[in-house]
Amino acid sequence: MKCVIAGGNVKVLGRAVHSLSRIGDELYLEPTESGLSLRAVNTSRSAFAAFLFAPLFFQLYEPGSAGPDTELFRCKVHMKSFLGVFRSLPSLEKSVGKCLILLKPRASRLVLQLHCKHGVTKTHNLAFQECERLQAVFDTQRCASRLCAPARLLAEAVVHFPPTLAEVTLGTGLGGKISLRNYVEDEAELSKTMVTELWLAEDEFQSVAVAPGSHITFCLKEFRGLLSFAEASNLPLTIHFDEPGRPVIFTLDDTVLEVHLVLATLSDLESSSQSPSTNGVSHLPAPSDDFADDLESYMAAMETSEGCSEGPPSPTFPLRTPQPAKSKPQQQEEGGGGGGGGGGGRSCARDPPAQEGEGWVCLGAGGGQSLLLTPPFLPTVPLPVFWLGDDTRKAWSGHHPGGAGGGQRWRKLSPRVTATPSLHPTTRTGTPQ
Amino acid sequence: MPFSAQPPASGERYALSASLDNARHLSSLLRAVHFQDHATCLATASGLRVTVEDAKCIQANAFIQAEIFQEFSVQEESVTFRISLSVLLDCLTIFGTSSLPGTSTALRLCYRGYGYPLMLFLEEGGVVTVCKINTQEPEELLDFDFCSTKVVNKIILQSEGLREAFAELDMTSEVLQITMSPDKPYFRLSTFGNAGSAHLDYPRDSDLMEAFHCNQTQTNRYKISLLKPSTKALALSCKVSIRTDAQGFLSLQYMIRNEDGQICFVEYYCCPDENVTEAEL
Amino acid sequence: MRFRAKIVDLACLNHFSRIINTIAKLAKTCILRLTVCKLYFILSDKVANGGASMWCELSQGNFFDEFQMEGVAAEHNEIYLEFVPENLWRAFKTAQSAKAVKIKLTNKHCPCLRVAVELPSLSSSSRIVTHDIPVGVIPRRMWNDFREPSVPDFDVSIYLPVLKTMKSVVERMKNLSNFIVIEANLSGEMNLKIETDLVSVTTHFKDLGNPPWASEDGYQSSAQGRDVESMAEACIDIKKLQQLLAGQQVNPTKALCSKFNSSACELQLVGSFAILSFSRISVFIFVCLKVNIFTAPEDFQYLYF
Repeated sequence: MKCVIAGGNVKVLGRAVHSLSRIGDELYLEPTESGLSLRAVNTSRSAFAAFLFAPLFFQLYEPGSAGPDTELFRCKVHMKSFLGVFRSLPSLEKSVGKCLILLKPRASRLVLQLHCKHGVTKTHNLAFQECERLQAVFDTQRCASRLCAPARLLAEAVVHFPPTLAEVTLGTGLGGKISLRNYVEDEAELSKTMVTELWLAEDEFQSVAVAPGSHITFCLKEFRGLLSFAEASNLPLTIHFDEPGRPVIFTLDDTVLEVHLVLATLSDLESSSQSPSTNGVSHLPAPSDDFADDLESYMAAMETSEGCSEGPPSPTFPLRTPQPAKSKPQQQEEGGGGGGGGGGGRSCARDPPAQEGEGWVCLGAGGGQSLLLTPPFLPTVPLPVFWLGDDTRKAWSGHHPGGAGGGQRWRKLSPRVTATPSLHPTTRTGTPQ
Repeated sequence: MPFSAQPPASGERYALSASLDNARHLSSLLRAVHFQDHATCLATASGLRVTVEDAKCIQANAFIQAEIFQEFSVQEESVTFRISLSVLLDCLTIFGTSSLPGTSTALRLCYRGYGYPLMLFLEEGGVVTVCKINTQEPEELLDFDFCSTKVVNKIILQSEGLREAFAELDMTSEVLQITMSPDKPYFRLSTFGNAGSAHLDYPRDSDLMEAFHCNQTQTNRYKISLLKPSTKALALSCKVSIRTDAQGFLSLQYMIRNEDGQICFVEYYCCPDENVTEAEL
Repeated sequence: MRFRAKIVDLACLNHFSRIINTIAKLAKTCILRLTVCKLYFILSDKVANGGASMWCELSQGNFFDEFQMEGVAAEHNEIYLEFVPENLWRAFKTAQSAKAVKIKLTNKHCPCLRVAVELPSLSSSSRIVTHDIPVGVIPRRMWNDFREPSVPDFDVSIYLPVLKTMKSVVERMKNLSNFIVIEANLSGEMNLKIETDLVSVTTHFKDLGNPPWASEDGYQSSAQGRDVESMAEACIDIKKLQQLLAGQQVNPTKALCSKFNSSACELQLVGSFAILSFSRISVFIFVCLKVNIFTAPEDFQYLYF
């Protein structure tokens, strides 16, 4: 893999690394045909983030050659060492003109070279580890609720909470009002802890499509990390969420950049007593005619948000290579058209089919479910979602690009814990640090 | 005002007496060598030299020429004493490190001689502080025997170019390796830390490079923990001269311009790290 | 028991916030005493081995646009609440641009002071942030613990120098010694002194002026007939003094230095900091620092700011 990042985009990359460093101790680098993906997961596997930089983000992007049987080389590095290269954001902006990233698997070297002012060159040779694919399984489309807001609004909202606060609860009220409050564990603590609650009106958001009366509790630290990135990049942030215990997905979209942050949410004690499958479908858009309405409002919402982030080349991330328009969203739409009605197949369009032995990370709910990632643009037939085991992955890869049958096949699999790490919901025993 | 608060009359006999309109000219230079608690001061007619050493491997000297002072008189050929640098700095900055624009701390400094304390009289905005700092027996200093005739390689850089490099040094690396060469890579700083290796290359035609006199390729390693304190001097300086001799001894000379445009120097000498095998180089 | 109050004026909000900030820095928990006209922040002096006590009195009319209070009973028309001032400061810290701040005593899960902040927004409706600060209601039998401290007799009263200079001097001296001697006389002179094996430092302030505080208050103080040159001195824990000074958001204007005999085995530093920076409203925060004595307890010296 070889890529060159020029000018202001070096700082964007730097900020992305800063944001990822709030999540995990290791940074996963995955060169793909659709761009360079940087990912991280936290130790308790309750938070996952992925930044996908499209080829247009780079001055030069060569993901490397993948044969028919071989995959593009992936690796992980210590977050600290990677962050060290981009530590000072002001000096990146001031002095770095160009950044070269070279992944040489044969030479066992990840080379990061910064070309700075006055002809000075900084070359970092970082140790890396070849690794499995890091992937959280989630599906923004399956989330019953969705909010889109300027990052600034959310940044101004979280300042009311102390920096040490671990979890925050996001709730929806009547009239599209959105609330944020600090999560207090039990009644006994309530008499000692200050409870701060903030209400934001619907019209402060770019779009609000939420199930009233729903609420989720998630970790604030990782969210703050993404917020500072989104605020600096002046991008709107979309929050996709469902019922308690199901992951919340934060997304940022730009012509050259796609960001996903997936956080486990606290399970509701009451709802976790229900059976997982009931739990899983209860908030899915149910009958198809209702769903169409839903979709309309959804598309309308997308238009609003697209208006901000798409269209003319982003001023935030200037396009470096004048290539024929082959932007990410279009690819997704094409992929969606080919995929037909099957949800599973389309998710393949976004994420290449998994190979055997790959490391999967699932962001699951308490009952052992997980959500599949599907491009948000595509309507899907509601499918129950399942834990992905080894067999599932075979099934999935076997059905690529996926027909309607894919979903059927999965349904037969019983939920189980695989050898691969999984994302657990935030419970008191497994609270992420 | 009590009698003790009065500065001594200039007629009194002091081994060393000096006055300075702005005590910060002195304190900022002393801070640049403040990596150990104790310092040895040597005053001669040409000025004051404050020396700090560590681990018998590094020596830092701050030179404050007599001209920097409004008055500087030494009654003997040389006056020397050892003093706690931390205490001296706390006293010199008693009114704060950053005085308001237009105000400055005036300083009068007196030393009666061996066995006596160093007296400081500081005044700012009508408030007077009197300090009496006990002095100690001076210790013998290292002699690096670093003379300009033995210099093999010499580079003068604008400090700006090194500041960021030193601020971002990978401190998990035990050593800082300095390569100076008439050919590529000309001037290279390398670290070998947990995260991997990092190299910083300065081309000889860089506009940061004020002078480049390298006669042979030399690669030497220095304990990074010993060199890190020189960052303080680097931060104040406008230019730095980097020299090595045949044994690999390193001299870093920092040229520091104070607020009044006067030039002072801070110098660091450092021994090469001996635990280097040829193979590593 | 009812209490509700409202601040609309931005300047009042700002001033109130600064007072809360100062108090939050001085005390981990404190008492809020509410009467019809006034509110008091009180840190009672129960600590045996040093610590601070504090008395801050505010006229509600100087800060609040609305203020309604109903005490426990008609004849005891007051409310005493114990709370964490840091919480209140956190609520006010992010309320600097608020359109209005309402404070109300509520009882949801527990007794709370609810601070509701109305913030401007980009939309037609405001952003509302509420902070429920848990409070403890102090029963009437304990009210006597929080009486106004009596001002002890003093020998010398003196205006304080510029706070920035004093802070800086005390900060450096703290690096050099654990104890500081403060001396002052009736000729407007004050000295700060430290002395150790290694170094002795004395900072001399002069022309500070001596306020005629005592006669105003009708005290017949021991300052009467005192030699104007003679210094009253007190030796205190320098860290405590430094904390006190670091907590100040404004310039304290008066210092009172006194000499006091007592059988108690401690020295005290008492400070009243007058926040005069806003339009003719004076707020006094009396701070009392207790420090265990480290010399023979013969002649106890009290120092007042």
